[in-house]
Amino acid sequence: MMNKLHGIIFAYRSNADLRELTQNRNTCSVPYGGRYRIIDFMLSNYVNAGIADVGVIVHANYQSLLDHVGSGKDWDLSRKHGGLRILPPFGYANKQRGGVCRGRMDALEGVYSYLKNIRQEHVVLAGGDLAVNLPLRDIYAQHIASGADITAVCTRAPKGDPKSSVYFSLGADGRVADVSVHPFSPTGCESLEVYILSKSLLLSLVDHCAAHNIPSFSQGVLLSMVHSLKIMPYVYDGYAARLQSVASYYARSMELLDPKVRDALFVPERPIKTKDQSNPSTYYGSEGETERSLVADGCIIEGSVKNSILFRGVRVEAGAKVENCILMQGTAVQAGAVLKYTITDKNVRVNPGRMLMGHETYPLAIAKGEIV
Amino acid sequence: MKKECVAMLLAGGQGSRLYALTSHVAKPAVPFGGKYRIIDFPLSNCINSGIDTVGVLTQYQPLELNAYIGNGQPWDLDRSDGGVHVLPPYVREGSYGTWYKGTANAIYQNIGFLQLYDPEYVLILSGDHIYKMDYAKMLKHHKEQNAACTISVLEVPLAEASRFGIMSVDDEDMIFEFQEKPKEPKSNLASMGIYIFTWSKLKEYLMADEQSSDSTNDFGGDIIPAMLSAGERMAAYRFQGYWKDVGTINSLWDANMDMLSPGSGIDLYDTSWPIFARSATKPPHFTGPDARVSHSMVTGGCEVYGTVENSVLFHSVTVEPGAQVRYSILMPGTVVKAGATVDYAIVAENAVIGEKASVGTPPPEDTENWGITVVAQEIEVGDGAVVPANAMVTRNVKGGEAE
Repeated sequence: MMNKLHGIIFAYRSNADLRELTQNRNTCSVPYGGRYRIIDFMLSNYVNAGIADVGVIVHANYQSLLDHVGSGKDWDLSRKHGGLRILPPFGYANKQRGGVCRGRMDALEGVYSYLKNIRQEHVVLAGGDLAVNLPLRDIYAQHIASGADITAVCTRAPKGDPKSSVYFSLGADGRVADVSVHPFSPTGCESLEVYILSKSLLLSLVDHCAAHNIPSFSQGVLLSMVHSLKIMPYVYDGYAARLQSVASYYARSMELLDPKVRDALFVPERPIKTKDQSNPSTYYGSEGETERSLVADGCIIEGSVKNSILFRGVRVEAGAKVENCILMQGTAVQAGAVLKYTITDKNVRVNPGRMLMGHETYPLAIAKGEIV
Repeated sequence: MKKECVAMLLAGGQGSRLYALTSHVAKPAVPFGGKYRIIDFPLSNCINSGIDTVGVLTQYQPLELNAYIGNGQPWDLDRSDGGVHVLPPYVREGSYGTWYKGTANAIYQNIGFLQLYDPEYVLILSGDHIYKMDYAKMLKHHKEQNAACTISVLEVPLAEASRFGIMSVDDEDMIFEFQEKPKEPKSNLASMGIYIFTWSKLKEYLMADEQSSDSTNDFGGDIIPAMLSAGERMAAYRFQGYWKDVGTINSLWDANMDMLSPGSGIDLYDTSWPIFARSATKPPHFTGPDARVSHSMVTGGCEVYGTVENSVLFHSVTVEPGAQVRYSILMPGTVVKAGATVDYAIVAENAVIGEKASVGTPPPEDTENWGITVVAQEIEVGDGAVVPANAMVTRNVKGGEAE
């Protein structure tokens, strides 16, 4: 059944409010959850649902993403036929608008020839900047059973900033009755921006929007066709994280210290896969202390770590104190340094005795490779 | 295509001295060091040494080992030319063919495989040692010595020499005598079970050995003595560094503990010589609000709420609140329930230690009857049960019962 579904991931979004974290990458390859990049979640959702062909649309600042995803072999997507295809913005080259990608319909128009060659009957569209473990098989089954033109995944628990989110009002017949895009005060279900539709409908929508110069999916499809198309919601109230600013990145990350959140995100039957790095286990020294922390492999912990998330290969030397922090891959906290409410990007080094302190509502973020 | 050197990894042994730990898997597939299996060490050494063609000879309980090796991708041994090949014994024309009768016979039966790559040299490895070694340096030594066979040797204390194959060498480190586990060792140079042969020579001796009806078809017992008595050039290659045979419960426990000690001579964190493994897909591990973890290794999928000291935890181990784990090795999926204690034990995959149960004890003054406790895979030790030191638990233990 699932070989009838094709996966598209929009991996071009770059949230300026993520500041230092998106200096060298776009939002989809921001490290999250100790050992993942955010795109791992949607890639794994697709693969766990049996999807064999996945197109990843990129636009700018995607070197880090390419480096991470590679040939797709860590997701079993390195295939002779199909598998993973990275779709760079080649299609924009001869457009008058100077290669700017203004929205999902723009992005899809840029890969129109790829879409025409899709082997599957249906297509799922999703962003690569959403951390969620979706039961995509169920969603697809509902799409087929309901006879919907478009199935839209949404949640009753608000996840994102209203100014950049889409909301659905549901009608008595169970259909999406109204759509509000980027309102000041949200009502109804928030869209997770995951949609299933047929390949033929997708092609005609892309054509329509290109011909009318409508760049966005919410304007060109949801708003203008909410009455002419049968748009059915799939309400998913499980955990989902959208990372739109440094503060929300910090808050969503810290939620992972709650076992219930981890159980919702790391479902054993639907594992989240990521790039393998062959790290050894994490070693705790005889003076190492750790409490309420999520720690990836390859770390060496000789100091004290509390309420924190440590990515792969982090070193915390003796006498160092790390509290309420997120330390990304290869961070070294040297002897006696103290870090509180701090996010360090990859390969940051904090020299001996330094003290860094942010606040829960305004965590300090230190860019990749910096030495403090 | 022709390869200069092909490695043949002998992985068919039962490892009977690991008892319950090898009842379902071949010894090379036994979990080791938190994220690895024993075979990861020779396989990683091969790829780090530039050897990209490896035959893995399997016989005893091969299913898990085969699945683990797969296409060799974790070790970068998924190649269109060369790569890793699993080589079981097979039936030949006219229903001939036998099990591998000995280590030399296993290679003899795969002469056809080696001929595919037409190598100059063959490296013989076994799947029961923990070490990091650059085989390229040993091969260079073999070529410089213009030897027919080079044997990697390690200096051991003379008192322990009777446990090993012992080499006597001349001033130029050429071997003139070999004693298998001698009562009165004449030297302290122990064979590490790692051989490089010039393939044309080895082939000659394998063919001759097969014709001899009183041969045990073994490298140490037959091939090496035959080559020595024929006056072939046999070189010793002195290895310095960490090397441990993990063929017994005690040595397996010891070697795991060595991974915790930075001074033991082997460093898993040294990225210039990485050990690769096929890893389970698990999220990072979590340490709870009252967790205490010291001098231990912990990996993905573990949830630690209790106390863990001087121990090695494999993936997906749960240590509940109030539980204490000391000087122990907990293999994947082990659950230690609230208030239980595990001391000086090896607990195999998916075993469950019930609430307030006690497994193993620290060594007493008089250590004669004391030993490491082993709990076999999938075993349940009931709530409040007491399993003494030195026990080997291979059936479920009811709550409150002493083993």
